[in-house]
Amino acid sequence: MNVVVCVKQIPDPATPGELDASTKTLRRSGSIILDDSDAYGVEMGLQLADKAGGGEVILVSMAPNNENKGLRTALAMGAAKALLISDEALAGSDALSTAKVLAKAIERADADLILTATESTDGYTGTIPAQVAELLGLPMVTFAKHIEVDGDRVKVQRQTEAGYDEVESPLPAVVSVTAGVVEPRYPSFKGIMAAKGKPVDELKVADLGLDAGQVGWAGARQEIADVSAAEERKAGEIVEDEGDGAERIVAFLEQLKVI
Amino acid sequence: MFEWSEEQLMVRDAIRQFVEKEIKPHLTELEHGDLPPYDTLRKLFRTFGMDAMARDRFERQIAKEKAGDIDDPVKTTLSEGGGGDGGAFMVIPIIELCRYCPGMVTAMGVSVGLTAAAIMSKGTTAQKERWALDLLTLEKIGAWAITEPGSGSDAFGGMRATARRDGDEYVLNGSKTFITNGPYADTIVFICKLDEGNDWPDRKILTFVLDRGMPGLEQSKPLRKMGLHSSPTGELFLSDVRVGRDRLLGETEDVQARSGAKDTFSMERTGVAAMALGIVEQCLDLSVQYAKDRVAFGRPIGEFQLIQLKLAKMEVARLNIQNLVFRQIELARAGRSLSLTEASAMKLYSAQSAMEVALEAVQLFGGNGYMAEFQVEQLARDAKVLQIYAGTDEIQISQIARSLLGS
Ligand SMILES: Cc1cc2nc3c(=O)[nH]c(=O)nc-3n(C[C@H](O)[C@H](O)[C@H](O)COP(=O)(O)OP(=O)(O)OC[C@H]3O[C@@H](n4cnc5c(N)ncnc54)[C@H](O)[C@@H]3O)c2cc1C
Ligand SMILES: Cc1cc2nc3c(=O)[nH]c(=O)nc-3n(C[C@H](O)[C@H](O)[C@H](O)COP(=O)(O)OP(=O)(O)OC[C@H]3O[C@@H](n4cnc5c(N)ncnc54)[C@H](O)[C@@H]3O)c2cc1C
Repeated sequence: MNVVVCVKQIPDPATPGELDASTKTLRRSGSIILDDSDAYGVEMGLQLADKAGGGEVILVSMAPNNENKGLRTALAMGAAKALLISDEALAGSDALSTAKVLAKAIERADADLILTATESTDGYTGTIPAQVAELLGLPMVTFAKHIEVDGDRVKVQRQTEAGYDEVESPLPAVVSVTAGVVEPRYPSFKGIMAAKGKPVDELKVADLGLDAGQVGWAGARQEIADVSAAEERKAGEIVEDEGDGAERIVAFLEQLKVI
Repeated sequence: MFEWSEEQLMVRDAIRQFVEKEIKPHLTELEHGDLPPYDTLRKLFRTFGMDAMARDRFERQIAKEKAGDIDDPVKTTLSEGGGGDGGAFMVIPIIELCRYCPGMVTAMGVSVGLTAAAIMSKGTTAQKERWALDLLTLEKIGAWAITEPGSGSDAFGGMRATARRDGDEYVLNGSKTFITNGPYADTIVFICKLDEGNDWPDRKILTFVLDRGMPGLEQSKPLRKMGLHSSPTGELFLSDVRVGRDRLLGETEDVQARSGAKDTFSMERTGVAAMALGIVEQCLDLSVQYAKDRVAFGRPIGEFQLIQLKLAKMEVARLNIQNLVFRQIELARAGRSLSLTEASAMKLYSAQSAMEVALEAVQLFGGNGYMAEFQVEQLARDAKVLQIYAGTDEIQISQIARSLLGS
């Protein structure tokens, strides 16, 4: 069973992010890493391929400057190969353009199952997975907290506020996973050594049969009109406990309708 | 080699994550309580496949030996000790663990580096299969016992532990002290003198391999000590422990135990540089941050020249030790190892620098530096041992001087 996992490579959240004032987008020049959220998809993919007794995990990523450091991490975990789409023409891509690119790349991989995270750590629109499924014309299951493949069907426990739904879908399908789905492994030393030799196919927009006008700034249907600093947090209200502290906290929370 | 490669940095990052998740939360139990380090170390080995790599390497060597193709086995152990990549993959975990738990590295190093290495370098193929593999994979814990209450620096001269022939067997007596992993070890390499009724200086040095629980062998509780709490240290008492020839390392009385011990010294000395680097890196990182945050006389203390001097000296130490570690990796990659003199020089410099840096970090942190919460006090207590074990500073100095003067 072949599993495609969409992995986003993002600026290291440990280093403070910076906005480019002219484009109002995040600067992506510093250290780039595998989005933590996507490590769950990679682990799930590896476990499913392993359980199926064959097949491999193929990574698909769109990133600027042929950036592949995050891909190396996922390859070291055990993925077999990667498709990396990187092109000047992609600068300024909005979520839909990104989904178009990912969908075209996924078509090349002959996948039984496509995994994504629920939302990325940096952009977190959470729109890509459904857009990719729609563009591929495939069924989609979101918020998976448990996945099992049974023949040509996938069984998913779908996280809800109250518990979970049990959902089934025919394969191929797109499934977005939550952080609870599996515990990602650390790459082993052997895996890290092997990662260097694994293929990363670098693709351009034209290779995917897409027109440069459909993606990047040219194809974007969304525009960042304005960016402003988040409001400074206001000092909290200090309540002296005069024996009725607990009641006053309850009253305060009730007023906020939190309890 | 002048910097870490991309792959080595990946290894570093992965180990760092492991340390954050598996060690930092248990630091109090490991450093101030009674949690032995072994399960965490085993988890480290399993997680990164270090046990599987050790097994592969072991099986290759044994297959070679059985085919009669024995190149210098010590060399093989040294150069392959790190699992390829010139040992860098062994050095990086040492550095990263030492940022928090130098004791853990001691416990691991003595088991895998000293005990298993001693068996791998002088044991018969059967002895390697019987004891070394389980030690190399950390399935079992090893101790290497040479020091005695009356002999440390002068290990062979003052040694009073004995082996007496009795038919086909030997009877062992004596006591050992300051033995890393002593309280918990499953396998013990025990070094003693053959008593043939001759004078002490003329006696042969023999090495035996013992198992936990043998009649007459007593392993003490951990000794209380200044630091390095995540490495249990203890005493061993042997009274009439009876062993067959199968436990005599090499199964011959003519094995060169002294040279075996010297190879071991050289190896443990090079390990100390990587340990020192971890301690220095951590002290420097913590100190730079503190110098920026802590305000005195209306300014961050990093603006005072006396504080800047401390930081600059720490950076100089870090660069020098790192270069020594790089050199060691580069040599191993070329299939060579440091001479004993060079290993001594490296050990002396690294140990002294780590101690100096850690004490300066305590000073830079002021009162907080003296408090357990800020970690540098632990590193300062731990760093001190680097000047004592694996040969004291004074012994390294005389070794270097002897070699310079050709005496
Ligand atoms: C104004 C603007 C400019 C941009 N400029 C660029 C640019 O110059 N270069 C560029 O490469 N991108 C660019 N992007 C694309 C952007 O980085 C995101 O990839 C895209 O908007 C997805 O949004 P998201 O992170 O909110 O995805 P979400 O919907 O939150 O992501 C959900 C999941 O989908 C998958 N996924 C999302 N993005 C990717 C990806 N890129 N590759 C693989 N899997 C993915 C992951 O599994 C992710 O966890 C730009 C976006 C905007 C809005
Ligand atoms: C935490 C810890 C773990 C240890 N683990 C082990 C272990 O696993 N196995 C093991 O066998 N041993 C172990 N040791 C013992 C260690 O190797 C010895 O403590 C060390 O070699 C010093 O010996 P000593 O304690 O007898 O000191 P001594 O030899 O008594 O030295 C006392 C002082 O005299 C100095 N001195 C001695 N000779 C000379 C000289 N010729 N010229 C100048 N100065 C000299 C020394 O440098 C020192 O300052 C461990 C020690 C510690 C602290």
